Amino acid sequence: MRSRRLTPLRGALVLVVALVAQIAIVADLRVVGAVGDLMLLVTVAAALTGGPDRGVTYGFCAGLVFDLVLDSPFGLSALTYAVVGYGVGLVCGGLFRPTGWWPLAVAAVAALVASAFYTGVGHLIGTPYPWGDLPAIAAAVALWNAALVLPAMAVMRWVHGPTEPDRLEVALR
Amino acid sequence: MAISPPTGSRTRFAVLVLASVTLLTVGLRDAPVVREVREGASAVIGPVEGAVDTVTAPVRNAWHGVTDYDDLQRENEELRAQAEAAEAEGVQTSDAERQLAELSASLDLPWAGNVETATARVVSGPRSNFSHAIEIDKGTDDGIAVGMPVVTGAGLVGRVSQATGGSSMVELLTDPEFQVGVRLATTGDLGTARGRGRGDPLSVDSAISPGTKVPKGTGVVTSGVDRSAYPPGIPVGTVASSRQGSGGLALDLDVDPLVDVDQLSYLTVMLWTDGG
Repeated sequence: MRSRRLTPLRGALVLVVALVAQIAIVADLRVVGAVGDLMLLVTVAAALTGGPDRGVTYGFCAGLVFDLVLDSPFGLSALTYAVVGYGVGLVCGGLFRPTGWWPLAVAAVAALVASAFYTGVGHLIGTPYPWGDLPAIAAAVALWNAALVLPAMAVMRWVHGPTEPDRLEVALR
Repeated sequence: MAISPPTGSRTRFAVLVLASVTLLTVGLRDAPVVREVREGASAVIGPVEGAVDTVTAPVRNAWHGVTDYDDLQRENEELRAQAEAAEAEGVQTSDAERQLAELSASLDLPWAGNVETATARVVSGPRSNFSHAIEIDKGTDDGIAVGMPVVTGAGLVGRVSQATGGSSMVELLTDPEFQVGVRLATTGDLGTARGRGRGDPLSVDSAISPGTKVPKGTGVVTSGVDRSAYPPGIPVGTVASSRQGSGGLALDLDVDPLVDVDQLSYLTVMLWTDGG
């Protein structure tokens, strides 16, 4: 019998570990001139295993803690990851079950969408991130996401159990 | 197959997106609370990051061993440092000549060489693909404050954007939000340089008339005009190309920074704030 009281603690632990790993390790490992994004990976894994509710919740929380340690506009990561988490959960819940190799493809496409969304909103709010950097960023994040999404989904199942909805999810139904 | 979500999902999505947009709005207004929260988060995460950094150094070194050729990298760094120093010397020389010719104007200005400095080690590079800030191991305990210019022997690196007791964040001059007042070392024409991202040249909006020919390689230094955020005469870069500005009334310049922001190990923080 799983203790549901531990679920939020496990979720928070995953976010903190991902944040520390991101800034202390992954940020230093460049592929094609850009780095991976573990906070987006956590968001995508949450959406793949728990649907749009869990995707948007993890996306917002992961983006928020990432925003705390970045110099980029505060709230932009939270907005981007919330939208991507919701979208991934929605598409995977409604169109197909993310089994087999599908999660790898979904994680890679999510990287492209997230990078483009972040750059686009950046332009809207007056921070003109160069569009020319987008291909390298999307490629690097997609590679990292595809490589790690299956273990990340396993971690999410450890946090929530195979089918368990979170408390907010239950309250809103 | 339908992809319409349950009502609860839509509500949660709307609430969290609204919350994100609110945070974005508050953050864009440079609210002190956001700055304080970020400084607090940096103070908490800094020691943890340092410890993990030390433990995982072998892994990262192995990665770099695979992705870089060590000897070539070292040789490259040495050559780059020599080239940058020579280039910076050239820029400084032409600037000094112009200053001599213009006599007393510059005598009243604080000269960068006389400013007190603090040397700091780069602890970590940018934390995400959209971040243009690096962390250094000196902070307010060493007299560092937000806004202070950061340089290397080659020239301007950026400015301190956040400072806590034992560490600081430095906004690199390649950041799209970075701006610095500059002048051409040869003619003294003024302009504003803006970052355009990693690996891209700085963009300089000048007041130079469109017919003027600005030779490639012309040095660009900080202007240090009244109430500037930077002392005058810090080498910034060299002109790579020039083109007519959008209004057709002035030239826009592309300027290659003298400093390679991807190869920074030690930096010098000039303990200089607006107005000296």
